[in-house]
Amino acid sequence: MNQLNNAFTLFLSLMVEAMPFLLLGVAFSSILLLFVDERKLIAAMPRNPLLGALAGSLVGFLFPVCECGNVPVARRLLMKGAPASVAVGFLLAAPTINPVVIWATWTAFRDQPEIVVLRIVFSLSIATLIGWTFSSQKDIRPLLQPNISRLMPAPSTGNPAKDNPSNPGTSVSPLLQSGTYLLQQPGQMFQLDNSTAYDLFASSPVSKPLAAKLKLMLDNMVQELRELGGILVLGAAIAAFVQVAVPREIILSLGQGPITSILAMMILAMVVSICSTVDSFFALSFASTFTSGSLLSFLVFGPMIDLKNIGLLMTVFRPRVIVYLFALAGQMTFVFALLVNLHVG
Amino acid sequence: MPRKPRKQPIPQKPRSPFIPWRDVLDVLTLFAWGVMLLKYWLTGKLNVLLHPDYMWLSNSAGVVLLLLGFLKGWQLLTRLRRQSGRDLSSQTHTTLLPPNWSSAILLGVAVFGLIYTPKAFASDTALQRGITDTLTATRSQPQRFVRNAAPEERTIIDWVRTLNVYPEPDAYTAQRANVTGFVIHPPDWPDNYLMISRFVLTCCAADAYPVGLPVKLSGSRSTYAPDTWLEVEGAMGTETLDERRQLVIEPTALKQISEPKNPYEY
Repeated sequence: MNQLNNAFTLFLSLMVEAMPFLLLGVAFSSILLLFVDERKLIAAMPRNPLLGALAGSLVGFLFPVCECGNVPVARRLLMKGAPASVAVGFLLAAPTINPVVIWATWTAFRDQPEIVVLRIVFSLSIATLIGWTFSSQKDIRPLLQPNISRLMPAPSTGNPAKDNPSNPGTSVSPLLQSGTYLLQQPGQMFQLDNSTAYDLFASSPVSKPLAAKLKLMLDNMVQELRELGGILVLGAAIAAFVQVAVPREIILSLGQGPITSILAMMILAMVVSICSTVDSFFALSFASTFTSGSLLSFLVFGPMIDLKNIGLLMTVFRPRVIVYLFALAGQMTFVFALLVNLHVG
Repeated sequence: MPRKPRKQPIPQKPRSPFIPWRDVLDVLTLFAWGVMLLKYWLTGKLNVLLHPDYMWLSNSAGVVLLLLGFLKGWQLLTRLRRQSGRDLSSQTHTTLLPPNWSSAILLGVAVFGLIYTPKAFASDTALQRGITDTLTATRSQPQRFVRNAAPEERTIIDWVRTLNVYPEPDAYTAQRANVTGFVIHPPDWPDNYLMISRFVLTCCAADAYPVGLPVKLSGSRSTYAPDTWLEVEGAMGTETLDERRQLVIEPTALKQISEPKNPYEY
């Protein structure tokens, strides 16, 4: 009975601590979804692959979204012509490198500031490196799901950010191109290709009037809160259960080994799929029994790849790309975390 | 008796207005969460769950959730009045859980939170988590080392932090101690020793860890059942417990007190 009480108290404490941050996260993500124009952002990105990957990783400061919000944003970035390095860097780093998550991590690990700093450094390095790797693929379209690559401009049209769908920028007569056309004045026609159609129907909500924006914002907030909150409940329940029900000897033997602890926490991160805004509190409940490196591996790897995220990634990338992302991110996280365990902890 | 043929319900076309159940569920969930967070604030039970530094976060979250609930509810009412049907303005999202499940789970948690009163951790948790009189490796930085505090004003955590910086127990011999905490009976200690203990929080109950000091009694510890709250006054001494020289309180007065409103130390 006492065990049950402890589990409930633990669970409620995690929920009560995490809820404000979740709320803040969804509020930010909803505001910026409506008020930041990705096209202007892409135009400002550096063209150099390494710098692009770094810049993409840092864009998270403008879109404080956790890993559920960042896949739709990354998809919009890709479709609006962002280079692969920028999009992949953003995809992997944005859930961690943003003010809300950094603050939440600081709240949880106040007395271990090295965890906060290393989380940022590791996430940034891994995301930049993987983004850089992906930039060797000049035309990213073969890596994407066909329904997305169809909507994308070909990379040969020069600066993709300025790509104007009504002016394909080639000298080929419009009559020789396939597609859907709207006939305007005689002799003039407006090509209604997929990219335009996409823009017409799913244009960034930035252009909508303010009242509609606010309504969209409220809807988006409630929707994200509902979805992420459900996952948070599951995560908190698992954390509470593990702490109370699993014998301490097992946790200690698993959590004190420099390698087993990292593997255990990485698998936990995959399975629990807890939102990056609140995952520090989850990790905190393991802080006294698990090595610092393993906590870091949880905090770095979880936001990049987890079960919930894989479903989202499948809507953008082909499966083999997800395998690359998973393998690269997993190996680098493991190596970094092991370094911490062997040399710092 | 011939049975009356059962009256067949007249098949009616569902003319009733369309009720967007998901939105109703959302509104209920927002309200329930707001009320729950505010209830913990107003009843002071938040003390059991959170570090005081972060209570304002949870309190403002409660207010914001209520506000969101009002906005969403108002939106729902106007929509129902206009009968304009369903608004499909959803962003592209894919998730692990179906949306109605998520809402239902969240609502369930809030209702549970409203009914259930959280309880502070007790001695069995302390034993399970392992009590230390040295803060373990992960907690090595003493955040608040009050050097000038008079010994009798030190709390248990102050004592442990002081010991952490200068561990030699003899240095504290005959210093006066006056601490409050709850009783633990460590199983491998002799019958005349108990541990007076407190949980320490850095963030929330999830990272609560126990600290404690041994108390040397003149009689059996069975007088003081585990989880009883005590105020211990006495002087410090050194004894060998667990094959290790330790600082021990030799009490002059032991007073049973009720559980403080704020059971943790920080």
